[in-house]
Order: sequence, then structure tokens, then C-alpha cells
Amino acid sequence: MNINLDFNATLLAQMFHFVLVLIILRLVAYKPMMNIIEQRQKYVADNIAAAENQKAEAEKFKAQYEADLQRAREEAKAIVERATKASEEQAAQILESAKAEAAKAKEAALADIQREKDKAVTELRDQVASLAVLVAAKVVKGSLSVDEHHNLVQDAVKEVGQLQ
Amino acid sequence: MAAEHGHHEEVDFITQMHHNLNIWGLPEEPWHLGDIMVGSLHIPIELNAATVFFTWVAMALTILIALVAARGADVKRPGKMAAMFELLFDFWRGLINQSMDPKKGAHIFSLVVTFFLFLLMCNLVGLLPTGVAPTADTQTTFAFAMITFSMIFIMGIKYKGAKYFKHYLQPYPFFLPIVIIEDLAKPLTLAFRLFGNMKGKEIMILALLGLITGTAHWAGGFLGNVIWLLFSIFVSAIQAFVFTILTVAYIGVAVDDH
Repeated sequence: MNINLDFNATLLAQMFHFVLVLIILRLVAYKPMMNIIEQRQKYVADNIAAAENQKAEAEKFKAQYEADLQRAREEAKAIVERATKASEEQAAQILESAKAEAAKAKEAALADIQREKDKAVTELRDQVASLAVLVAAKVVKGSLSVDEHHNLVQDAVKEVGQLQ
Repeated sequence: MAAEHGHHEEVDFITQMHHNLNIWGLPEEPWHLGDIMVGSLHIPIELNAATVFFTWVAMALTILIALVAARGADVKRPGKMAAMFELLFDFWRGLINQSMDPKKGAHIFSLVVTFFLFLLMCNLVGLLPTGVAPTADTQTTFAFAMITFSMIFIMGIKYKGAKYFKHYLQPYPFFLPIVIIEDLAKPLTLAFRLFGNMKGKEIMILALLGLITGTAHWAGGFLGNVIWLLFSIFVSAIQAFVFTILTVAYIGVAVDDH
């Protein structure tokens, strides 16, 4: 065995082999794999961009929902306030009308009482008058002139009138 | 006479081992394919059969793993080989970008990765039983070194034009011979470094293999061979890496603007 530096066609063949391998690897491996790597880089970049977009959108939605919630709370508060006020008003109104009705009923009752009283007094007065006349007639039967009779009646009437 | 005879046998031992291991029936003398006639000159076309044959094996294996890698390539879940190739791509891209402008580096990316893969495979083929590393032949290492040598000039002229040759006269014109020697030393050292390592590896394997003649030589033969083969895997990878990284460095210097 000796180291041979007489170059022969093997040298050229090996250069050719190398170039052949280079071309084949470039075609079957490097180019497709580089493509894949580029696609992956693009995919990752896209995903990051999409995630950022989604995050921004989510923030926007969150802010919007928070605003909506705030508004809803305020509205609810206003509604409750309004309802409270309305019910209070209603209660007051009911009370008022009840009072008014009670007063009216009282007045009517008083009027009734007055009327009945008047009626009773009038009836009593009539009865007293006739009774008096009757009694007087019995007492002073025949001794009493018409004038005296009349005066007597008048006195009696007056007396009864004072009863009121 | 006896000493001379012994010396002769010792030299022949490797050849004998090669002959014993040549189960493929490859011609042991250069393969004569014919002559090119230039006028009255006969230029023989000869191929080192074992080198060429095992280069084909290495080519087939390189292309096979590349195909496996390409098949496993996927945007979302790459296969194992594809993932390894991607690591390799990143690794070499990083090294290229360290020594030159990434834009210029993109042009030699395929060359560099192929150098590494193919050299690694050529070196490892020598570890297969009965295998001969194509890189343990000066024909192969010089062929690869010539490619590097050409690429230095191609890339240098591509990016600097005629100005590329200015560096031969710098810093002083009388450095010209030194610079020329330096230029020639690049491919020579590349070729001989790789060749020496691979040939040495091969000779050690064959020598250790030759020691396996019986149980008496366990430690020196079988065990030694196993350890040496493990080390050889490491050496094969290192030498492929060294050749490739030096190629990157030389081209980097050639295209450098400063």
C-alpha cells in the first residue's frame, strides 16, 4: 500500500459525483424543506399576528361589555328609583283619596244626622203643640177665650222652640 | 534480505487485508476504461473501482436520508429526520452568517450542507464492514478540495470582480509569492488533512481487525477495534465538520469587503 498522488479520472468522477449529489439534494431536500421552513415562519408570524388581533379585539369587547354593564347597572338603579318614587306617590294618593272619602262619608253622616234631628224636632214640635192644645183645652175647658187660647199656644210653641 | 522481506510483508499487510475484505469483487488495480487519443498522445481513463463504488454507496445513503427527511417535512409536525435536517440547516446557516453577509452566504448554503452531509457519509461508509471510505483516497479529497478552491475564486470574483485579485498585491506587491503559496496551501491542507485522518482510521481498523486471530488477542483486537470504531465515528464527524467549516471560512475571507 502506498499513497498514490498520480491523479486519474477518479478525481473528475468524484467532482462529478459531488456536483450530482449537490443537485439532487438541492432538488429533493433543500428546496422543499426550505419552503416548509419558510411556510412555518409565515404560519408562526400569522398566528402571532392573529393572536395579537384577537387580543386587541377581546380588549375592545371587554371594554364594551364593561360599559354596557355599567349602563345596565345605572338603568336598573334608575328603574328602581323610579318605581320607588311611583309607589310612594301612589301610596300618598291612596291615602289622600281615602282621607277625602272618609271626610265625605263623615259629612254625609253629619248631614243625615242633622236632617233626622230637624225632622224629629219638627215632629216633636207639632206633637207638643197639639198635645198642649189638647191639655189646655182639657184644663181650661170653656174658660178660655180664643185670644187666651192663642197666646197659650204661642207660649208653648216658644218654649218648645227653645228646646232646640 | 530477511529484513527487507519483512518490511515488504508489513507494507503489504494492509493491501492483503483489503484483498481479504473485498467480498464485492471490485478490481484492486485502477479500472481501465479506455484511452482518450489526443493526436498521438494516449491519455488513459482509469477509475479507482473501490473508491467509486463506495462513493456510489455514500451517494445513495445521503440521498436516501435526504429523501426520508424531505418526506417527513411538515409545517406543523416534522418527522425525526426532517427535524434533524432543520437543526443542521440552522447550524450551518448560523456558521455561514457568522463569517459572511447572509445575502452572500445564501448562495453557498446548499454547497456547505452538501459538503457536510456527503463528507460525513463518505467517512462513515469506511466504517461499514468491508467498506472503504472514499475519502481515504487522495482522488476524492483532492476532488472536494478543488471544488472548495474553485468556489473561493468564483465567489470572490462574483462579489468583487477583478478587484478580487488585488489582495495578491497587498499589503506589498513583493508578498505575491507568499500569497500564492497561501492560496495553494488551502486546498492542499484541506485534502491532506481529510485524507490523512481517513486513511489513518482505515489502517487502524484493518490493523486491529488483523489482530483478531484468536482469543489471545481479545484486548488488542476485538475490544480495541470496538473502541477504535467508536472513536472513528467521532473522527469522521469532526473531519467532515472541519473540511466544511474551513470551506465556509475561506469563502468568507474571499467575499469579505474589508
